[in-house]
Amino acid sequence: MTFPADYSPTLRKRTGFGIAAAAALATSVILWSAFPLSTGRGGTRLALAVAIVAGVMSIAQLAAAAIGSRDTDGFAVVDQAARLLTALVKILPWPELLIIAAAVLEVLHASRPWHTALLGVALTGYLVAMHLTETRAGASVLRAQLPLLGTGIALTALSVGAAALPHFMAGTADTTIRIVVLVVAVIAVGLALPVWLGSSGSSRGR
Amino acid sequence: MAESGGREPLRRLAVHWSLSAHARRLLVLAVTGVVLAVLTRRAEFAGLAAPALLLLATWPSDRLPEVAVRIHLGADSLVEGVTAPVHVEIHGHEPFDARLLIEPANTVLASEAVDVPGGRSVRAAVLPVVPTRWGRYSLGLLMITFTDRYRLTEGTAMVQLPFVSPYPQSASLESSVVLSRLPSRLGEHPARAAGEGGEFAGVREFVPGDRQRRINWPATTRHGSLHLTTFSAERTQNVVVIADETSDVGEPGASSLDLVLRGASGAITRYLAARDRVGLIIFAGRLSWIAPGQGQRHWYRMLDLMMSTPGGWDRAEGLSRLPRAALPPGSLILVFSPLLDPRMVEALRDLRERGFSVIVVDVLNTEPPHDGSRLSRLTARMWQLEQQAVRFSLTQIGVPVVHWDGASSLDTPLAPYTRRVLVTHR
Repeated sequence: MTFPADYSPTLRKRTGFGIAAAAALATSVILWSAFPLSTGRGGTRLALAVAIVAGVMSIAQLAAAAIGSRDTDGFAVVDQAARLLTALVKILPWPELLIIAAAVLEVLHASRPWHTALLGVALTGYLVAMHLTETRAGASVLRAQLPLLGTGIALTALSVGAAALPHFMAGTADTTIRIVVLVVAVIAVGLALPVWLGSSGSSRGR
Repeated sequence: MAESGGREPLRRLAVHWSLSAHARRLLVLAVTGVVLAVLTRRAEFAGLAAPALLLLATWPSDRLPEVAVRIHLGADSLVEGVTAPVHVEIHGHEPFDARLLIEPANTVLASEAVDVPGGRSVRAAVLPVVPTRWGRYSLGLLMITFTDRYRLTEGTAMVQLPFVSPYPQSASLESSVVLSRLPSRLGEHPARAAGEGGEFAGVREFVPGDRQRRINWPATTRHGSLHLTTFSAERTQNVVVIADETSDVGEPGASSLDLVLRGASGAITRYLAARDRVGLIIFAGRLSWIAPGQGQRHWYRMLDLMMSTPGGWDRAEGLSRLPRAALPPGSLILVFSPLLDPRMVEALRDLRERGFSVIVVDVLNTEPPHDGSRLSRLTARMWQLEQQAVRFSLTQIGVPVVHWDGASSLDTPLAPYTRRVLVTHR
């Protein structure tokens, strides 16, 4: 047993805002990746259903964690239903399912690079909102991650640019090479950036 | 880490590192993006993965497998329902923020998680806990979760919190029962006999040898002869509290045993505060007792005895004949009992026959369950009549029985006996 949740008004407001932001971003991700439904290939509706369920459950999971689930020992129908619902909410990694479902929905549509890039930004925002709400941390903790996020978004834009030039390098082999190069570039920047950040941080410390 | 003398020792705990939920999600996003990019040959999906991959690249490498922790309670003794602080010191792991959370035992309330930011070699935090029951048990488990700057990795360490023995919460008792005959020992209760106390007793004529400073001048002027003021003697009394632990019936947390211990604790606290000499007899499977005494140390000894910690004398046979050593002549006997054990009733009769002034606080607040059938109702009715008969028989021999529900103050049931002195009948 724990003391009844005793959030300060600021913390309560921040948690509520975090849940609302995550819900809004989850909704945006689903809508953005699914519509227009008519242009989607077979399986779009199934993927949309999975995405909706995963989105709703991930927000429920977040809300349950923020409120603090209360263990009920009773055998009444209400208690049993509450236990079942809590178990159902906790049983699967719903945010991960939402990510996969949204990406699959995007794949099921024709190539639209800028659209995918915005989806990536929205998905990253959704994950950050989930993370901040779960840890009850303020937005200030993102300050250290801003250079990384900025670089990541720049790389996303780069990928959009690469994808938007279909005739620059046509053909299956060329496309594959182009993607592999892009992935390698992303990983290389990812490995180089922490080293650079670490050295600049230590020089500031001196 | 070196242990400082006279304090709780440092304990080394293994830290188990794993991906945080945030890192897991970022990994899923990154892998999904890269895999889809390769499978569908659409470059934009590699961009989808880019922010997640960059954030994951800051994965910390300086994770230590152990952490040193010192845990100690901030209170010498715990009391049920009273908040006690648990002090936690973390040595090392400076780069990592720590989150402390107590997984409390069933009978403990603990606070929400406490966040301790990194950056110092020794970090301290205080976590409040509330033991909700008396007894002996561990407070629970302390879970320490370390997180890095980017919240990608989580290190978890667990340690069992110390065993504690919270005392029962003392029932509220503001007034006290005082006997009409008190032993000749200085105390704070005004006695009938004249003495050197501060309580006004009367005015009488001066006789040679009286102290002149006590001359009552208004009375002297009125009567035309010397009169002086007399005061009551102030005496202490011997109080023996009997806690009947033979039965435990009723709802957990408000059972007869809970009420016996809370009531006895309240009475002991009240009478010791009034500078009386208080003794305790535990009436359980065997008799344990502590002869009357005074002071804070004596209070602890009695409460420890109540918590079944050996510390006094004890005897396993002849339960209905309470030991003379525990019962000074002229003592006030306060008994907390559900009156379910015939040996207890027999012991009360014996006490009355020996001339003691006895008051029984009946803590029975429950009845045997019955299913509503005619036979069951009849049985329950017989049981009630039997209980009434026991109480009536005690009242008839001069042992008042008052009922206490455990929720109200003890002053309420004892009010008829605290308003005036209890006349001692031999």
